[in-house]
Amino acid sequence: MILEFLYLKVIVSIVRRDSKTIVYIELLNKKGIVNTDKSEFETEILSLKMYEYIYSFTRESPFFYISILDTSPSQGAIPTCSKHQINSYYDLSSSEYKCYDKKWSYYTSKSDLYNIEKTYEKIGVDFIFSPFIILRNFFKDKIHENVAMYILLEEDSLSMGVFKESKLLYAEHMDISLDIDKNDLVIEETELSDINLDDDNTSIDLEKMESLDELDQLDEFGDFGDIADLDSIEELDEFDDTKETEEASEKGGIFITDSAKVHKDYQRFLLIQSSINNFYQNEKFESEFIENLYIADGACKSNDLKKFLEEEMFINVYIRKVDLCVEVSQVTKMELE
Amino acid sequence: MKYSYIRPRKKSVFTPEIHLLSVFFGITIGMLVFTYTFLLFKDYMFKKEKQEVLHAKTFTIKEIKNIEDSISFIRNESALSQSIYTKNTVLKDSIVNMFDLVPQRITLSEANLLENGLILYGITPNKDVYNFMLQAPLRSIFHRTYSSFYPAQNGWLRFVSTNYVDIKEETKEEEKDEY
Repeated sequence: MILEFLYLKVIVSIVRRDSKTIVYIELLNKKGIVNTDKSEFETEILSLKMYEYIYSFTRESPFFYISILDTSPSQGAIPTCSKHQINSYYDLSSSEYKCYDKKWSYYTSKSDLYNIEKTYEKIGVDFIFSPFIILRNFFKDKIHENVAMYILLEEDSLSMGVFKESKLLYAEHMDISLDIDKNDLVIEETELSDINLDDDNTSIDLEKMESLDELDQLDEFGDFGDIADLDSIEELDEFDDTKETEEASEKGGIFITDSAKVHKDYQRFLLIQSSINNFYQNEKFESEFIENLYIADGACKSNDLKKFLEEEMFINVYIRKVDLCVEVSQVTKMELE
Repeated sequence: MKYSYIRPRKKSVFTPEIHLLSVFFGITIGMLVFTYTFLLFKDYMFKKEKQEVLHAKTFTIKEIKNIEDSISFIRNESALSQSIYTKNTVLKDSIVNMFDLVPQRITLSEANLLENGLILYGITPNKDVYNFMLQAPLRSIFHRTYSSFYPAQNGWLRFVSTNYVDIKEETKEEEKDEY
């Protein structure tokens, strides 16, 4: 439409993190970005404050697009686009799925899509993107290389995908909080001595861990912060020096000792480990040895996860910080082209 | 390539108010266009009818002219027939009169009726009978009378009587009478 050039294009990217919602606004004209704005709201739904904030931008132009990053726990990706083969991986009867480049598919729950649309009914939703698309787009410069695992790290979830020359071999989306409940994860009684770094068997079976009745007791997992005492920082640094780190998480030289964060990193590590084990053991997937692991860190976490992975699994870990809102906005622009 | 699970809503510069206005103006313009089209159609139909009427008028005029020509022709024919009838009547009367003129002693063998004259062929016992009984009435009718005789085998005389009426003189006389 000719009139479209007279207006600015407003892209509103919404990303939910924990109990917060981050809204990122981009105002675009023909040449590019004119202005950006970002705001964080202490809500999981569309609060009045958030609505007013978004409306203050969207009222300026009729060409506004609301994009949301899908947070459904029932989402994932499948290494095929064939309708006959898809069902052997996952029952998609209650899911919405899309094929990417006729190579692989990503899916999510229909009811969750409906819930998102219902939640943001007042402002409307134009795009709902899978984290796998964000992951694919973020690592587009690397994904065509040899076998590697790519992880999009969010506050409450992990989206993992093993790619070999742009072809998806394996993918899994894991919700951290749900997996804790599911596995009845107990960390209190998992002492550091149980984690034998020298042991060849580096896998940690969640099932073997004893459960706690109350999750509150997970706070005692703060002991994990002491890992820094057991394995000297110097040693870890030396280990790191041997590997190329594109955007090292320890760039600032700060080792976050916050126990809660270390605890969450450890959970992530366990999930990644179990996912890799599943990839190796499940015959449905074309098994390849993973040497490199690329993490898109959207949670801005410490480098504990990197250390766990490198020390436990001997994988080369590269971390890139990612602003999920910007990436969602980027994909929106790609979609609009 | 499409990445999103859902399709974006259609974006338009038209707000509900502008949409309402557009609908209003759209309907108005639509009605105007409809009216204009209707009038154009009516105009076209009118022109078409006018053409047809003009064509019919031309045809009728032509027909009238043909009929008038026919009437004129019939009138002429009628006049001609009247004239011929009159002429025939006159001729019949003339022939009857002519035969009335011929006495019993004279026998006509041929008679030629001319436009302005009469030629008679016949047999007469003698010149006197002819002169008194036929020539005298002929002279009273015609302006010029010429007679010639030649003898027949039985002793009688064959005669040729040529008689003319001078039309010019008659006309002049008539004109004089009029003055």
